[in-house]
Amino acid sequence: MSSLLASLAKSLRSQSQAAREFKWMQQHISQHKHSPDIIHEYVRRRTAGEPLQYILGTQPFGPLNLLARPPVLIPRPETEHWVCKLAESFTPTAQKPISLLDLGTGSGCIPLLLCNLWPQGSVKAHAVDISPHALKLATDNAQLCGMQSSQQDHQTQNTFSTSMANFLAETFPDTATRSNAPFDIITSNPPYIPWNEYLELPRSVQDFEDPRALFGGPSGFNFYHAIARLISKEDILKPSGIVVLEVGHDQAKKVESLMLETGRFRRTEIWSDPWEKQRTVVAHM
Amino acid sequence: MSTPEDIVRLKQLKESELLDEAWTHWKANREQLDETVALLEDPDPTMRSLAVEEIDSLSTNLAELVQTTIPALLVPPSKTSHLGALMELKSGVGGSEASLFLAELLRMYQRLANNSRWHASVVGKNDLENGGIKDAVVEFKGEGAYDSLRWESGVHRVQRVPATETSGRTHTSTVAIVVLPLIEETDSQQDELFNMEDVKLEVMRARGAGGQHVNKTESAVRLTHIPSGVTVSMQDERSQHQNRRRAFQVLRSRLMDLKLTREMEERRSTRRNLVKGADRSEKIRTYNFAQDRVTDHRIGLTMKNLTSVMEGDGIELFIDALKQDNAESAMEAMLEESD
Ligand SMILES: C[S@@+](CC[C@H](N)C(=O)[O-])C[C@H]1O[C@@H](n2cnc3c(N)ncnc32)[C@H](O)[C@@H]1O
Repeated sequence: MSSLLASLAKSLRSQSQAAREFKWMQQHISQHKHSPDIIHEYVRRRTAGEPLQYILGTQPFGPLNLLARPPVLIPRPETEHWVCKLAESFTPTAQKPISLLDLGTGSGCIPLLLCNLWPQGSVKAHAVDISPHALKLATDNAQLCGMQSSQQDHQTQNTFSTSMANFLAETFPDTATRSNAPFDIITSNPPYIPWNEYLELPRSVQDFEDPRALFGGPSGFNFYHAIARLISKEDILKPSGIVVLEVGHDQAKKVESLMLETGRFRRTEIWSDPWEKQRTVVAHM
Repeated sequence: MSTPEDIVRLKQLKESELLDEAWTHWKANREQLDETVALLEDPDPTMRSLAVEEIDSLSTNLAELVQTTIPALLVPPSKTSHLGALMELKSGVGGSEASLFLAELLRMYQRLANNSRWHASVVGKNDLENGGIKDAVVEFKGEGAYDSLRWESGVHRVQRVPATETSGRTHTSTVAIVVLPLIEETDSQQDELFNMEDVKLEVMRARGAGGQHVNKTESAVRLTHIPSGVTVSMQDERSQHQNRRRAFQVLRSRLMDLKLTREMEERRSTRRNLVKGADRSEKIRTYNFAQDRVTDHRIGLTMKNLTSVMEGDGIELFIDALKQDNAESAMEAMLEESD
């Protein structure tokens, strides 16, 4: 046991982090009634760089405990923070439900947390992704959260639907997305890592998470350009719509100008994350 | 608190029906006693021996009234009786032996909770390989949990020969316990404890570029209540959300604890109490296995048969004695105030 802990500590370069992760592994094993021996396997995988979230198969996100499965991007605490902040910034009602589009939904974390935090019947969410793994995971997560699919009674419940689509393509929005448009809110945490930073990523990110979920083009801004083009189209946003975008540690100002240059917005805001990085650009029509 | 004059004064101090009743009772007993004493002079020996018996029982009654019934009526009802308790146990000196003892204490309190119909849940715990526990945090929910457990705050000392010790030498190890009042999120009292604007919420470690660049688990939070300077860090859970909830719960408990201490000081009640309650580094109890005894150093109470404390209901005797002692101190303070 202590040798396992020691090798974990060496690999994580922190005694206290290793002790916590070791405890979480043990808790997971006893909760799921796995054989205690599996801890060896877990530690071996972890020291080989695999993210703990893939080993345990989950990642808490707000009050939710979402499934995490390789290679779909693991929801980040920075994202958790701004989604909670967005949920608190206003509250839609069942009398006047809103529609939401999430671009590159991955695990589905953004729309699923909003659906959880907002009142039932107040939001109808649609999510797209290019990755079948992501769409499968988002659907499984929706089921885990007790979400209704949009065909069902959306008078009383929040609903969540998905479609496979490439939002960089000229042909976007796809039919399913178009049938849900126009939207009150568009959210996205698109791939934003530029080429030079991609090469420097920690192994647990680079070797285990989907490159298509991370790589934002040579300069990291490809997806923001595509989003700017999308919202310049008529009929995608409602007249008082908002766009909420997560950005990389040094991208907020540039993304803010990209949004303003569309001429669609009256006002923009930049939200910082708890680690004091400018993390979220919010644009109001 | 033993002369009838005191009771008269207290009677004036605090009018209550029950007290009046007890007082009438006392007077009747007292008169009867005087009459019976006269019978000790009776020429008839049977009469005299009856008188002796009668006096014995009357004195017991009087003592009971003066020492228990009346004091209990005079102590103001507890304002904290509805509160649950948050107990933190930390192994101190003695290494793995201390952690084994901690595990035993934890079981003892869980048994106590069961008998008292509280709901006990371990909300945080660090196990060691030897079967011991390095530290633990336990919530006790239910009527009277705080009032009973608050006196468990302090250093608990165990003296015994560890199972692993071949030379048979007795070791001394300690476990430090802190018990705080538990304020439920739904308790209306919590509103008075702090304003949200006065609480600074911070995340703990640096994350470099953060966001998509880093997938390390990061859920530690720290709260600072600016006016009081109380800080709470929580990092036991993978969920940031849960760590935050638990941190707020501990913050509420700490602030409530401060409030209760302050109120105690303001009422200038129980100087003894303060000495007892405030210093949590004080050694309060010894569990001596070789001598098969448990001693509470604050009230000088020793119980033989340590097993009945560790594995039976013995702990309840200590808790009752401490509550009683506290009630008496509160009474003394009242008497001083009325001077
Ligand atoms: C950074 S991840 C974000 C996942 C999730 N929204 C979150 O916050 O954890 C970006 C997601 O965009 C998806 N994606 C990448 N390129 C895409 C494209 N051209 N069209 C649609 N989705 C795409 C990826 O599969 C990935 O799930």
